[in-house]
Amino acid sequence: MGNEAEKPNIITSSLDFLVNWGRSNSLWPFPYGTACCAIEFMSTEVGRYDLSRIGSEYVRFTPRQSDVLLVSGTITYKQAPILKRIYEQMAEPRWVIAMGACACSGGFYDCYCTVPGIDHIIPVDVYIGGCPSRPEAFFDAMFDLQKKIKDESYMKQRAESVKEQLEMIKVKTAEAKCEAKTAIHEKVVDIKDFMKEKQENLVKKAQFWKE
Amino acid sequence: MTVEEIFAALEGKFDVKREPLDKWGITAVVAAPYLHNAVQFLKEESGIKFDMLVDIAGIDYLTYPNHEGPRFAVSYAFKSMKNPGARIRLKVLVSEENLKVPTISDLYANANWYEREVYDQFGVIFEGHPDLRRLLNHVEFVGHPLRKDYPAQKRQWLSTNDYLLPELEKRLEELGYKVIQRSKEVETNDNEFLEGSIKE
Repeated sequence: MGNEAEKPNIITSSLDFLVNWGRSNSLWPFPYGTACCAIEFMSTEVGRYDLSRIGSEYVRFTPRQSDVLLVSGTITYKQAPILKRIYEQMAEPRWVIAMGACACSGGFYDCYCTVPGIDHIIPVDVYIGGCPSRPEAFFDAMFDLQKKIKDESYMKQRAESVKEQLEMIKVKTAEAKCEAKTAIHEKVVDIKDFMKEKQENLVKKAQFWKE
Repeated sequence: MTVEEIFAALEGKFDVKREPLDKWGITAVVAAPYLHNAVQFLKEESGIKFDMLVDIAGIDYLTYPNHEGPRFAVSYAFKSMKNPGARIRLKVLVSEENLKVPTISDLYANANWYEREVYDQFGVIFEGHPDLRRLLNHVEFVGHPLRKDYPAQKRQWLSTNDYLLPELEKRLEELGYKVIQRSKEVETNDNEFLEGSIKE
C-alpha cells in the first residue's frame, strides 16, 4: 500500500464534480440561534440524530470558518444589522438556511418589532417550516442544500468572476495596439523624411562634384 | 399589621384612594408627588415590609370603555418576602400633558430597568432616573409602540448596531479599571451613525 501511494497517480474527473463533492460534504454551520429552534438544532447535532454523519462535523462559532449560516429563531429589528454584518463577514462560498416559521416569515409575531422573514436582510437558500422544526426537517433541508450545491458550477462561477477582468484586458490590449500602430506610423513617416533628405543631399553632392 | 391597616395608614399619610375596579381590593391610587414617600413607607416603615418589587406596568386608557380621567397610569406591584401572602399595588395616574413620575430606582435596584421599559413602551418620563434610555426597542425607533394610537404593525428599520461602548466603559470605570486607549475598530465613526443614535 505504501509503495502504491508513492507512485505518481492520475485521477480523471471534471473539476466541478470534485469541488462540489468536497463542498457539499463538509458544510460547517454557524448557528445563529435566538429562540426555540436553536434547541431543536442542538438535538440535531448530538448523538441521536448526529449531524456529523453528513459531513457537518463542527459547529463553528466564527463566521470566518463556516459555510452555512443557520438562522434559527426570531429576528427583531434590533438584531437585523448584527445578522447582516455576520453574513457579510462569512467567506465565499456561503449559504443560508432559515430554520423555523419566525426566520422564514416572522411567524405569528406580526408586530412592530419582528422582521417579517430574514430574506428582507440576506439571501436565503433553504427554508424550513415548523414551529419549531423537527430534526428530520433539518436533515431534509441539509440534503436539499447538498443537492443545490451539486448543481452549482465552480468553473462557471469562476468564469463570471473573471469576466470583467477579461474584458478589461481586451480593451487595454486594443488600446495598446492602437498606440503602437500610430507610433510605428509616425516612425515610418520620420524615416521616409530622413531618406528623402539624404537622397536630396546625395543629389546635391553629386551635382557639386559634377560641376 | 394587616394589609387593611396599611391601607388605612396610607390613606391617612399620603391621601391615597382605593381602586374600585380591582376585584382583590389591594390597589391604591396615589398622587405622583407622594409616590416616593409612599413606597419608602411600604418598604421600610410599615409593619409588613414590602421589600420586593414585582413589576412596574404602564397602562394606556385611550380605548378603555367608560374611563374618565388621565390617559396613562403606572402600576407598581409589591410583595413581602416575610409574609408571602401580602401583596399591594400602587397606581399613579399620569396625564398626557405632564408625563412625569418620580423614580423609585434609588429604593429598588430592579426598578431601573422596569422604568426604562415603561419609558420605552409608553413614553412616561421618570424624574431622577440615572439612565433613562430605551430598553427593548432600538435607538432609531420613533414613537412608543404600546400606546394605543401607535399602529401595531408599523415597522421601523435600524441602520446600524446600537452603540453600547460608553455604557461598557462606564461599568469598567466603576469596577476600578481605566480606559487608556481605544483600538481603531471601536472608535466612533461619524459616518456610521445616523440621526437619533446615541453617540458621545
